[in-house]
Amino acid sequence: MSLTSALSIAQSALFNTSRQTSIVSRNLSEASNPDYARRSAVLASMAPGARVAEIRRATNEVLFRQNLQAISSWQGQKMVSAGLDSLQLDVNGVDNANSAAVMLGKLQEALQLYAASPSNSTLAESAVEAARQMVRSLNQGSAAIQSFRRDTDQQIAASVDKLNGLLADFKEVNNEIISGTRAGRDVSDALDRRDALLKKIAEYVPVSTIKRADNDVMLTTTAGAVLFETVPRPVTFEPTAVFSAGKGGNSVYIDGVALKGGSGGNTTASGSIAAQLQLRDEVAPAMQRQIDEIARGLIAVFAETDPSGTQPDAAGLFTWSGGPAIPADGTLVDGLGAEISINPAMDSSQGGDPMRLRDGGANGAAYVHNGPPAAASYSELLRTYGEKLDEPMNFDPAAGLEVSASLGTYTSAAVGWLENLRQDAAYGNEAKGALSTRTATALSNATGVNVDEEMSLLLDLEHSYEASARMIRVVDEMLAALLAATG
Amino acid sequence: MKTSLISTHSVAQVMRYQLMRMQAELAEKRQEAVTGRVTDPGVKLGAGVSRTVSMDRDIERLSGLVDSNSLAANRLAATQAALNQITDNAQDLLSALTAAASGSVDTDVVRHEAVRTLEAVTGILNTSFNGEYLFAGINTDAKPIKPFTDNPPSDSKAAFDAAFQARFGFAQSDPAAASITAAEITSFLDNEIAAQFQGANWTDNWSDAADQPIVSRITLNETAETSVTANEEGFKKLLMAAVAISDLLKAPLSESARDALIQRAAEIVGEGIADMAGLQGRTGIAENRVSDATDRISSQIDLFKSFINDLEGVDPFEAATRVNELMTQIEISYTLTSRIQQLSLVRYLT
Repeated sequence: MSLTSALSIAQSALFNTSRQTSIVSRNLSEASNPDYARRSAVLASMAPGARVAEIRRATNEVLFRQNLQAISSWQGQKMVSAGLDSLQLDVNGVDNANSAAVMLGKLQEALQLYAASPSNSTLAESAVEAARQMVRSLNQGSAAIQSFRRDTDQQIAASVDKLNGLLADFKEVNNEIISGTRAGRDVSDALDRRDALLKKIAEYVPVSTIKRADNDVMLTTTAGAVLFETVPRPVTFEPTAVFSAGKGGNSVYIDGVALKGGSGGNTTASGSIAAQLQLRDEVAPAMQRQIDEIARGLIAVFAETDPSGTQPDAAGLFTWSGGPAIPADGTLVDGLGAEISINPAMDSSQGGDPMRLRDGGANGAAYVHNGPPAAASYSELLRTYGEKLDEPMNFDPAAGLEVSASLGTYTSAAVGWLENLRQDAAYGNEAKGALSTRTATALSNATGVNVDEEMSLLLDLEHSYEASARMIRVVDEMLAALLAATG
Repeated sequence: MKTSLISTHSVAQVMRYQLMRMQAELAEKRQEAVTGRVTDPGVKLGAGVSRTVSMDRDIERLSGLVDSNSLAANRLAATQAALNQITDNAQDLLSALTAAASGSVDTDVVRHEAVRTLEAVTGILNTSFNGEYLFAGINTDAKPIKPFTDNPPSDSKAAFDAAFQARFGFAQSDPAAASITAAEITSFLDNEIAAQFQGANWTDNWSDAADQPIVSRITLNETAETSVTANEEGFKKLLMAAVAISDLLKAPLSESARDALIQRAAEIVGEGIADMAGLQGRTGIAENRVSDATDRISSQIDLFKSFINDLEGVDPFEAATRVNELMTQIEISYTLTSRIQQLSLVRYLT
C-alpha cells in the first residue's frame, strides 16, 4: 500500500459519489412519473477501490404483469359500462321516459280511457297519439341502437389505428434496447419507455410478454395471437359504413387471428377493443331483437279479426312493410322495430279515421265489428285489445328474454335485462378499478422513487464525499510532510 | 438497492383515489338524502327493475281506472235516480187504475194519468248524461225512445191504429167499438198490442236503443255492465199499459170492456213495477261493484307505491347521516393530505 494508491482510491470514491449523486438527482426529478423505475448504482470492488459496475433499474416482473392484466380488464369493463349507460339513456332505462315499457303503459292508459267513453272522438285521437308515440319510441330506439353500433364500429377502427401506431413505436424502442444491450450501454430510459408503451397497448388488447436474449421482447395477446415479434404484426379491421338490424360488423384480426369479443355485464372482455366488439355484436343487437319482438307483439295484439271468421287476421292499429299480413307467431323479424308504423287507415294525420280503432275495419268492411250503423259507445273491441296486452304471447328465444309473457311484462323485462347487465357492469367496474389502482400502487411501491429515501442517500453520499475529500487532503499533507522532510 | 416500502408517487396517488371515491359517493348520497330514492335504481336492483317498471305502469293504469270508475259510478247513480222517477210515475198510474177499477174515479182522469205517465217515462228514458243518452245501451248517440204522438201520428201510433183496424175492422173512434167484448179487448191487449212492443215492431217504431248495455272495465281484469237499456221488458210493459189506456179509453168502449181493459192494464203496470225493482236492484249491485272496485284499486295503488318505495326508497336520515360522515372523512383527508405533504425529509435538511 502506498500513499499514491490511497490517493487514487479516494479519487475513484469521489468519482463514484458524483455518479451516484447524479442518479439520486435523476430519481428525485422523476419521483412523480408513474412509468419511471428507480435506478441505483451498483458498486463493485476493484483492485484499488471500487467503481460503479452498473446502473440497476428496479423491476418486478410479477407485479408488472399483474398491472398489465388489471389495466386490460379495467379498460374493457369501463368501455362496456359506458356503452351500457349510453344505451340506457338512449333506449331502455328504468328512468327513461321514452322507453317502450313506459310508452306501452301510456298506450294502455289511453285505450282504457277511450274504452270508458268510446263515443268521445278526442279520446280516440289521443289513443292513436299514444300509439304514434309508441311507434316513435320503437323507431327511435332502433335508430339509436344502430347508430350506437356504427359509432362503436368507428371507435374500433380508431382503436386499431392507435394500436398499430403503438406497435410501431414499440418496435423502435425495442430495437434501441436490443442494440444498447448488445453494446453494453445503459438502456434504462428505453426500458421505461417500453414499459409505458406496454401499459398503453394493454389498454387496447390484453398483452403478455415473452423475454428473449438481449432484452428483446415478444408480445402476444393472452389468447395467443402474436402482436410483435421483431417487427409488429398487422392488426387489421374493415369498418362498416351502415348498420341495420341483423347485419353484423367485421372482426378485428391480429396477425390473421380474429379477436374475440367479451360477454356478460361483468365482462370477460380484456382491453377496450374486445369490449367494443361485445357492445357492437352482442349487447346492441340483443336490444334490437327485443325491440323488434316488442314491435311484432304490438302488431299481433292489435291485429284486426274478421267477426265472421272467414278472412285471415290483418294488421290493425300497428302495421309494417309486410302488412296487412301478421308476422309469424313467435318468430323474430329483424328490423321490425324500425319498420313499424301506424296504420294509415286509423291515422288522422294521414287521412285515416281514429274511430276505426273502436269499430274495426281498417282492412275493409269485412273487419268491421261495430255496425253498421256504428253504436257510439261500443267498447268491446277496445277492451279486447286491452285484455290481449295482458295475455301471454309467444316470443322468439333469440331475443334472450322470456319465451312466453304478456307484452307488458316483456317490455319491462327488456328494461330489467339491460339494468341487470348494468348492475353486473357496475360491480365489475368497482372491482376492476380497485384492482387496477392496487396493482399500480404495488408496482409503484416496488419500482418507484421514495423522495425521503433518496434524500437520506444524499446525506450518505455527502458524508462519503467529505470523507474522501478529507482523505485526499490528509494524503496531500502527508506527501507534503514527506517532501519537506526530504527537501 | 431499493429499501423503501412505498414510493412517493403512490402515497399521493392512493390519497387522490380515495378522495375521488369519497367525493363521488358524497354526490350520490346527497341526492339520495334529498330525493329519498336511490341514485341509480338500475344498478341497485338489476333485473329487479322490471318489477318496479311494471308496478309504475300499473299505478298509472289503476289511477286511470279510478277516474273511469267515477264516470261509471255517476252514470249508475243517474240511472238509479231515473229508475226511481219511473217507478214513482208507474205507482201513480197504478193507483189511478186501481181507483178506476173500483169505479170511484172518472175514466178521463185515468186516461190523463196514463198520458202523463207515457210522457214522463218517455222523457226519463230519453235523459242524456254527459252528452250521452243514459238508456241507449251502447248506442249512446241515438235518442232511445220515439214518443207516441197522435198529431202528427208517430210510427208507433200508426202501427197501433193499423193493428186495431186489422183486429176489429174499424177505427177506435168508430161507434162500433161499443160492441167489443171484455174478452176481445183483453185478447187484443195481450196479443196485438203486446206484439207492438216486441221484435222488429219495437226496434222500428219505438226504440233506437241497443240491447247491449255499456260494459266498463272496473279493475285491471274485471268488467261490469254499467248502464240499463230502454229495451228492458219493464219499460216496455209500462209503455204498453200507458199507451193502451191513453188510446183505447178514448174509444166508445162498453163498460165491461173498459173495466177489463183497466184491470188488465193494472196487472201489466204491476208487473212493470216489479221489473223496475229488479232493474234497481241490478243497478245497485253494479254501483256496489264499481265502488268496491275503486276501493280495491286505491288500496292496490297504495300497496304498489309502498312496494316501489321498499325497492327504490332510501331512508333519508340514513343518507343524511352518511353525507355528514363523508364530509367529515373528506375534511380529515384534506387535513392529512396537507400534513403529509409537509412531512418530508427535505424540510429538515437545511
